[in-house]
Amino acid sequence: MKNPNNLIRKRYITGWILMVIGLLVLIIGILAELGVQSRPFNLRIITGFGFVLIFGGVGTVIRYRTALKDERAAKRILIDAADERTVMIRSKAGHRAFWVAMVITYALLLYVSFASSGSLPGLSEDLLWYILSAAVVIPFGVYVAGILIGEREQ
Amino acid sequence: MENRLTFLRTQKGWTQQDLADRVEVSRQTIISLESGRYNPSILLAFRLAHIFSTSIEEIFIYSEEEQ
Repeated sequence: MKNPNNLIRKRYITGWILMVIGLLVLIIGILAELGVQSRPFNLRIITGFGFVLIFGGVGTVIRYRTALKDERAAKRILIDAADERTVMIRSKAGHRAFWVAMVITYALLLYVSFASSGSLPGLSEDLLWYILSAAVVIPFGVYVAGILIGEREQ
Repeated sequence: MENRLTFLRTQKGWTQQDLADRVEVSRQTIISLESGRYNPSILLAFRLAHIFSTSIEEIFIYSEEEQ
């Protein structure tokens, strides 16, 4: 195994970088919301993305902070991340999620093909947005459920 | 797959975490192995055999019916 302390330090620094970038994105988002008159899209997406980065960074920093001082904890974190059972459970869950995403996307493609030839009613922009969101959220849900089931079964 | 991991581990006086640290897996993996819910990779099986100074067949009991 590589020196655990170096890896942990790198991840700790990455956490801080994420936080700083998140803060910048958040500020840009807020300034854009206040200053930009003609909005091509909802500018809260930028602010929201900033929050996601900040929380991700905070989580990473908290996770690796104690491990920085404790080599045993550092080694354990790295072992847990590369643990063969965990990798297998995640891989199975990912496989399931991939096929669910494929089926949703294929069904949508099929529908749009029929809709464009007039055989089926067309999709409104709103409905398309919801379906595309579902194409992201449902596979993610399947992935998380797959991990939970795998943890229980294995 | 049935195995003698719990017996071998307790004989050495190790906790599940001790064994996990020695073979570089999570404690949860050791729990799953001992309960027979998880079958290890060939590499992990060899590492376990090496740690207990025995053979894989002495730790894991293969049964055709289970497969």
